Amino acid sequence: MKRKQARVTRQGAAGLAGLTAIALLAAGCSAGGGSATASGASTDVAGVTITVALPADSAPPAAALAAFTKESGIKVNWVISDWDSLQTKISAAATANTYFADVTNVDWSRVGQLGKLGWFQPLEEYLDVNALKADMPQLGSFTLDGHLIGVPYDSSYMVTTVNTDLFAKAGITTMPTTMDEYTNDLEQIKAKGVVEYPLNIPFLAAEGLSTYWYETTNAFGGAVLDASGKPLFTDPSSPGYKAAQWMVDALTGGLVPPGNINVNDGQGEQTLMAQGMVASTLSDYSGLINSLYNVTDSSNVAGKIEYLPTPGVNGPAGNLSNPDGMGIPTQAKNPAAAAKFIEWFNSASTQEDFAGLNGQDKVWGSSFIPSRVSVVEKLAQAGSLADGEHLAAMLQTASPVFPEGAPAWYPTFSNAVYTNLHAAATGSMSVADAISAIAAVANQQASNG
Amino acid sequence: MSARRHPLRSVALGLVILWSIVPIYWAAKTALQTESAARSRPVEYVPLHPTLDNFRTLLFGQGGVAVGIRHSMLNIVIECAAATTVTVTLAALAAYAFARFTFRGRNILFYAVLATLAFPPYTTLIPLYRIMSAFSLVNTYTGIVLVYVSGFLPLAVWVLHNYFASIPMSIEEAGRIDGASRMQVFWHLVLPLAVPGIISIALITFLFGWAQFLFPLVLSTDLSTQPLTVIIAALQGKHTVPSTLMSAAGLLAIAVPAVLALTFNRYIVNGLLAGSTK
Amino acid sequence: MAAPRRSARPTPRGDDARRGVVVEGDRSDIATSTTRPRQRHLDALPYVLVAPVAIFIVGLALVPAAFTIIESFFKVDALHPPTRFTGFGNFVEIFHNHAVMNSVANTTFYVVVGVALSTILGIAMAVLLQHPFRGRGVVIAILILPWALPGVVEGILWSGIFDPNSGLINGLVATFHLGAGNGVLLGQNRLLTLALIEIVQVWQITPLSTVLIFASLQLIPGEIYEAAVVDGANQWRSFASITLPLARPGIAVAMVEAVIATVNIFDQPYVLNGAASTGSSVTMQTYFVSFQNLNFGQGYALSLLVALVTVVLSVVVLRFVYRKVEL
Repeated sequence: MKRKQARVTRQGAAGLAGLTAIALLAAGCSAGGGSATASGASTDVAGVTITVALPADSAPPAAALAAFTKESGIKVNWVISDWDSLQTKISAAATANTYFADVTNVDWSRVGQLGKLGWFQPLEEYLDVNALKADMPQLGSFTLDGHLIGVPYDSSYMVTTVNTDLFAKAGITTMPTTMDEYTNDLEQIKAKGVVEYPLNIPFLAAEGLSTYWYETTNAFGGAVLDASGKPLFTDPSSPGYKAAQWMVDALTGGLVPPGNINVNDGQGEQTLMAQGMVASTLSDYSGLINSLYNVTDSSNVAGKIEYLPTPGVNGPAGNLSNPDGMGIPTQAKNPAAAAKFIEWFNSASTQEDFAGLNGQDKVWGSSFIPSRVSVVEKLAQAGSLADGEHLAAMLQTASPVFPEGAPAWYPTFSNAVYTNLHAAATGSMSVADAISAIAAVANQQASNG
Repeated sequence: MSARRHPLRSVALGLVILWSIVPIYWAAKTALQTESAARSRPVEYVPLHPTLDNFRTLLFGQGGVAVGIRHSMLNIVIECAAATTVTVTLAALAAYAFARFTFRGRNILFYAVLATLAFPPYTTLIPLYRIMSAFSLVNTYTGIVLVYVSGFLPLAVWVLHNYFASIPMSIEEAGRIDGASRMQVFWHLVLPLAVPGIISIALITFLFGWAQFLFPLVLSTDLSTQPLTVIIAALQGKHTVPSTLMSAAGLLAIAVPAVLALTFNRYIVNGLLAGSTK
Repeated sequence: MAAPRRSARPTPRGDDARRGVVVEGDRSDIATSTTRPRQRHLDALPYVLVAPVAIFIVGLALVPAAFTIIESFFKVDALHPPTRFTGFGNFVEIFHNHAVMNSVANTTFYVVVGVALSTILGIAMAVLLQHPFRGRGVVIAILILPWALPGVVEGILWSGIFDPNSGLINGLVATFHLGAGNGVLLGQNRLLTLALIEIVQVWQITPLSTVLIFASLQLIPGEIYEAAVVDGANQWRSFASITLPLARPGIAVAMVEAVIATVNIFDQPYVLNGAASTGSSVTMQTYFVSFQNLNFGQGYALSLLVALVTVVLSVVVLRFVYRKVEL
């Protein structure tokens, strides 16, 4: 009996991805879609039609796709999808061992899980990995056991955003470079009455809280898990512990709006940062200045937001990347054609077109930051990327959240992170207990292998 | 039969209308604003600078949105109409059999049909996906309608069974005495009396179909069959949500059910059984 | 030998005695009478009538359900293959899972409050709509809207209404100077969080209850009410003695549907309060267990338990609320 299933936000449908995977047929269906035989896999490319399902609010310009078809003979059926729903479809199709698209999204956080389950085809047989690696620093995040299962196309990473106007009003003339300075500045903004709550942290129990904690841990000089997946944050002097403590103290200490226990990352950006109600978000998403903060229909603070190199221990810390990639599901009908598409889509010239370097009519979407360093640098020089120099520098130095790749049990771990940090924020458990709970999950998962 | 004019009635009616419509008003207000205005403080109860941009984007915009809305609106209407027609027809026949006949296996089958309601919907998702895939029915109207029908039948059978069972036997007996066959009795005597029940369950079934999201998300792979609910969800961004655009889309989505509800009212005639002695 | 035919005019009972109306207390019987032909050969007609439904249900509903039941006794874990029989292992793990048990408490709240509220509101709305009046069509259309609005839009809508910074509720609080207008509605106070989440679900599911009960009310002939008025009954008495008893089948169906909807609640708590344990529901935990932990066997076991609970609750509802009504 079907019921309506409402969904919102990236948390909403990522959840339903799991629901679909629940119901499996007993008949020989191990819950991983282990069979790797793509039905009718073909190596001919001319004349085929591939279905491409990527999370984007608009398709690339028709002219671009037409040019691709002309050059390769491959027709593209572009399906509009949102990130949440797509994760559901990926899980459902893989679990049911059914085809739904030739090219689809591979999220950095699912690489471990998707790789282990064999849901995506290795790309090294179709693409020149070394050539890509030189220009795409984030390629490593999509490699598992030597197999490349995705190519990053949108180089997203966590950044710190500040409202320069509000900082100036509080009398702050030099921007903070360390976490201590950053915290002091925020307190100063509050004390001077510029805004009541100067800091945005999304404490809703959802993925955005986890990534915020990773970035804050990075700011305090460390990582959350070691190479074998064991927790590095159990000691109160460890960066992860300090980060959690700092985040919760910011809420209880009045730097973060109390309502933020019910605010997710998107809401924080759109309702607080873009409305000038907070002065800074320590872990925001790259590209938002272009796509949100500088868009007058969406924000009140156009021109006032800048990227700040994330404050660190003794100076600016690096940034963590959370790129979106594209890959070929195991059940794809035309993997060779799909690979050609991936190659074309991520070529330097296509990325330049999509980013607007060759005219507005070639632009794709509004929040696209190319994954190729060369293209980002060109954008920065051309001045067409808001705060382009910062972004180019960050792309070079951004590091993955998990240098060894996200573990296969990442969703379980992330769930433990955001539910426990949320509980600590609401006061129903202490930071120490929250940390222990998260560590317990990490230990258990890591030793289970 | 007199309509009651209790003074409290108007108050109650007003409250009921308010309860339903205030959030809808909020959605409508949001649809007429820019994203920034919708999230500003102090809260705007009425849009200070109303704009039709959201509707323009949905109906005439570029980048595939307008095309998506149009195609998916057509798809959802077709899918819901087909599913409703098939469901109500099959359910009426079966419900009549359950209500008026005894036959071997009647009770077991009836309870089995009802029991399927108890299983959470998503438990059938993957098996149905596999079955549809095996018959090459993924991304087809047929496949989606078949899945919808299988889900909506239990309630339809149950409600119509209750309806048929409530109609006085005397009417059918009189028809049989007059020499009519059982199906003639059903068609000419019972069905007309059951019209309120039938169109009620038709409306209910249509609305269930209208609300579907998870199943068509998985069973449709592109615009040839994706319904409106899936396309509206696709408007969400990865980190940001265009709440104003989606509120406008929501308003477009309630137009058809609203019209159906108006039509529904016209076909409900009260006091049907007053004429039962014919 | 034909079964004894029930007389067409059974003796009316007690206070419910109205012209030609019988409310049967015995609910174990589905059909009140038979129209069996006098011949002794197999009557094909009923089988023909139910065959399509039977095929659909067996093929597309019962078979998948059976697999859920079977799989729940196996350890199906994508990260720790192979699949192996484990008896009640999955069920034992469930009872030791704190998050799951916590969600059971929340879900109990949702079910009790949700079924009660949606049924009461549904009855009230159905009664208000029972007899035609000018503009009834418009009112029906308005009542349907919460159900017709796509779920994803409803989620955004109510998130917006409850938003701690720019939402409607907080805005009203600020406008009427009842507070600062940035109060925390969801996430802090558990009872408030549960209540608000369930109110949103009730808002969405009440239209279904209304239409189901409304359909039931349409069967009641107007003469009954007229006779009652002649007998001196006022409106409340008519309602209590005529409307309510005769609407019992519709009310029972509406309540069972509400049970199903509330037991399976997922979107509202997930969208409004994320994965927090404050409002987490059993279906949310089923998802976490299956998808995040990739422990599908445990997910099936939970689904089976949910189905069993649904059946039990539905049987209880039917036992106490459903009555066979023949007019």
